[in-house]
Amino acid sequence: MNIRPVLKAASGGVSRKRTQTAVIFLVLLVSTAAATLGLALLANSSGPFDRGFAAQHGADVTMGFSSARASDGQLAATRKLPGVTGSDGPFPATEVTLAHAGFQLPLATVVGRGSAGGKVDDLTLTAGHWPDGSGQIVLANNTYLVPDVGQQLTVENAPGKPKLTVVGFANSITNTADGWVLPSQVAALRPAGQPPAAEMLYSFAKAGTAAQVRADQAEIDAAVPAGAVTEHESWLVAKAQAAGAGSIIAPFVVAFALIGLVMSVLIVANVVSGAVVAGYRRIGVLKSIGFTPPQVVSAYLARIGLPALFGCLLGVAVGNWLARPVLDKSAPVYGVGSQSVPLWVNVLVPAAMFALVLLTALVPALRAGRLSAIQAIATGQAPSQGRGYAAHRFAAGLRLPRPVSIGLAAPFARPGRTVVTLAAIAFGAVAVIFAVGLDASLAQASDGQTHASAVQVQAGPNGPGGIGLGGSRDHAVRAALRSVPGTSRYVAEDFLELGVPGLSQPVNAEAFAGNASWTGYQLISGHWYHGTGQADVNTGFLQATGLSLGDSVRVSAGTSTVRVRIVGEVFDPQGKDQGAMLTSWQTLGGSAAGLRIQQYDIGVKPGVSVPGYASQLGSDLGQRYFVGTTAHSGQFYQIAEGLIAILTLMLAVVAGLGVLNTVLISTRDRVHDLGVFKAVGMTPRQVIAMVVCWVVAPAVIAAAIAIPAAMALHVATVNAMGQAAGTGISSVIMDVYKPAEIVLLALSALVIAAIGALLPAGWAAGARTATALRAE
Amino acid sequence: MDADALIQLSGVTKRYDSSGQPAVDNVSLQIGAGESVAVMGPSGSGKSTLLNVIAGLDRPTSGTVTVAGERIDKLSETGVAKFRRRKVGMIFQFFNLLDDLTVADNVLLPAQLAGLSRGQARQRAGSLLDRLGLAEHRQAYPARLSGGQRQRVAIARALVNSPELLLADEPTGALDTTTGEEIGALLAELNAAGQTMVLVTHNPDLAARYASRTVQLVDGRVTSDVVAAVPR
Repeated sequence: MNIRPVLKAASGGVSRKRTQTAVIFLVLLVSTAAATLGLALLANSSGPFDRGFAAQHGADVTMGFSSARASDGQLAATRKLPGVTGSDGPFPATEVTLAHAGFQLPLATVVGRGSAGGKVDDLTLTAGHWPDGSGQIVLANNTYLVPDVGQQLTVENAPGKPKLTVVGFANSITNTADGWVLPSQVAALRPAGQPPAAEMLYSFAKAGTAAQVRADQAEIDAAVPAGAVTEHESWLVAKAQAAGAGSIIAPFVVAFALIGLVMSVLIVANVVSGAVVAGYRRIGVLKSIGFTPPQVVSAYLARIGLPALFGCLLGVAVGNWLARPVLDKSAPVYGVGSQSVPLWVNVLVPAAMFALVLLTALVPALRAGRLSAIQAIATGQAPSQGRGYAAHRFAAGLRLPRPVSIGLAAPFARPGRTVVTLAAIAFGAVAVIFAVGLDASLAQASDGQTHASAVQVQAGPNGPGGIGLGGSRDHAVRAALRSVPGTSRYVAEDFLELGVPGLSQPVNAEAFAGNASWTGYQLISGHWYHGTGQADVNTGFLQATGLSLGDSVRVSAGTSTVRVRIVGEVFDPQGKDQGAMLTSWQTLGGSAAGLRIQQYDIGVKPGVSVPGYASQLGSDLGQRYFVGTTAHSGQFYQIAEGLIAILTLMLAVVAGLGVLNTVLISTRDRVHDLGVFKAVGMTPRQVIAMVVCWVVAPAVIAAAIAIPAAMALHVATVNAMGQAAGTGISSVIMDVYKPAEIVLLALSALVIAAIGALLPAGWAAGARTATALRAE
Repeated sequence: MDADALIQLSGVTKRYDSSGQPAVDNVSLQIGAGESVAVMGPSGSGKSTLLNVIAGLDRPTSGTVTVAGERIDKLSETGVAKFRRRKVGMIFQFFNLLDDLTVADNVLLPAQLAGLSRGQARQRAGSLLDRLGLAEHRQAYPARLSGGQRQRVAIARALVNSPELLLADEPTGALDTTTGEEIGALLAELNAAGQTMVLVTHNPDLAARYASRTVQLVDGRVTSDVVAAVPR
């Protein structure tokens, strides 16, 4: 086959049809980018901890030792024990109380390490740098501590209360510490009276099960002097924690990724086949001057393939660029240091997209190759006669401006193309409607966990022990609460652990001394407890005990045992099968049973500055009490919302490009008719209105399909997320679509369609009438 | 400049390619109301370009074009579209009917775009279709009509807004001789009723029989402008 005329024809087509070439390039770019991002997210949502553990050489067991009982030499000797395949340490360690901006933070384990790297537990520095001098600390990025590099922490319980500047954040896949400093710094941070400690990190030949890990720990225990081991932590604990958050986020990431992949494939197929069909006339001309069928097919594959290839290559680069911030956000949720786009995704996605392009171009190109020159020219011209006539006749009878009624009837002339346009709009609208619902559900779930909209401020006694209900300190706190302007309501509570027969783990309970129904717990079923002997529980409790609403259960708090009846199920996820109970002070025996006030939940009046209120309450109560404002959402929710926003935007762009391409092809098809419309007096504005109306009917149908589809996807995804988190879902979280909002959300289909149609509509409006009339 | 002229072209040049030969080269022309002017010339002489410039379908590269008192070379795209609705009706060699609209809807379209009331537009279209012998084809689609019928539909569409000027680009070019003569006679009848008309044609017989004035173009220039010695 003579290749020169083929290349000539292909390059001629590319340069002559610049807009269509640009659309093919752009659609492939965005679709490949969306598919790369989608597949990268899918790949990273599957077993992220295991891959992170392997990449970061996670520690099977992290062990704490008293340096007074075991020397560094004795600890170093444990490296050679049979079964130990890798180890690092000993690292000096200490337990400190850190304070930030006046607030005391929970006890933190700080370890001295010379660098982030290591044979075991290779830390991934996610921000800043490793300490290069004293007074610097790197914090674990999955902890509760401070959000920014450069902030200062005070070591409250170390002599002289030394200050540490946060110079970075790092991820330890097995959570071996809350912070790291240089080894030489540890001694200065150790609180008075705390014995020196060391940390060792081990990998073992067999550590796949809890029993194997226990055996490994026992081997180390036996190798060091009695009492030397102060702590051990299995990698299985870190894995369980990471799996919890990761499995919650996975359902919606998978949903978005699948929408993105399906839509990318659909739009690419539409764009490419449309481009070949639009070129039938030219194919006819090429055949009439002597091109053979294989040359025609090759010319068209090259014409479509060249811009598509560049689009695929740039798309995979853009996909990687987009995936970077998304994966940076998802990594901490999965509990791993970093995530990246796997190499196979970078190879497979552009290759598959390009193969899809060639395949979808091949079918119509082969058909064109078989047609006679005259048939090809005829097929490439106006749509088949008879299609859409009835729609035009019906539309002509509508009391609408004529450009609008003509535009509304136009899609019926090309039903196949209209269906694909409709599908692209529907997928885009599903993504938008689903995203809005999911975002609202996550906001409700976040509020259901933080209770931030009901309980804006929390206060309580510093230090252990709590305060007695009705005692002088309780009176003092209540007096302060009454005197500070802005207090709406408050309730005192104790946190305790309850034993429940048949459960190996204690149940976390909150006993409220007063009405607590306003504290923001969302009911999944039943009602809020009232009266002594009733309690609400979370889903984890019901699943772990096998009990149902209306059942009674005996619970033990300390030495007393009481019988409570379960009257409600509340949204309070605490991990799979982790039970929680909410009840009254009296139900659990009250002060006589040893209950002490740990915290006051405070609701602030609307319009009152919450930080200002907390600050005044803090100064009124003094140093013996903590006062804090309730965070509105946790890191997980912030990350999830960021992910939803970026994924939705990408899918909407892909859908808009799909519409743009279809309208562009239709505009090219109907360029002569557009000339006639303009010749008989249609103004540019009327032309734009008519062309935009081409996509209105598909958009309305797409919206009608997208609304129930998105709502069903939302229900399925939220239920899957709830199941992963081990909780039922309250109606507040599930029923987020209000009728008025649904109408507004349906407009998203119209917006995607209109934005996609506007560019070709503008082109149609601006085309010279005489030129358009000359077009065939 | 003749104040009574319906069409006034002054030094009009139209180039499609800045370095090439102009399609219309420095043409100045006046056409009065009620005239029937045939523009003739060989292929590529610039006849259709001249007609497009007069209709506002194309813009001159230089020179001025005034039609019915409006400088259409200065109008915006919207302005020129509105001008065409009110002042100009166009007939094309290949009819340029919209295949997916019925005969009646094709004829109604310019009236609807011009904002004529539904009743007025239907009445006007109906009477035109009656007059042109197309009443029984109102609900037919153009593809089902003969060439002559299609051209009559196109004429009805051109006249629906009662334009001051009727422009016809090779109106019989795609028709057989008999049908061509029918269309020619119809145009002559319209002109006799006072319709100003500019007719582009290759056909000297058509020009001689139905036009009162013949303008000859060669290479974009007016080489002759002859008024018929004996009025028809």
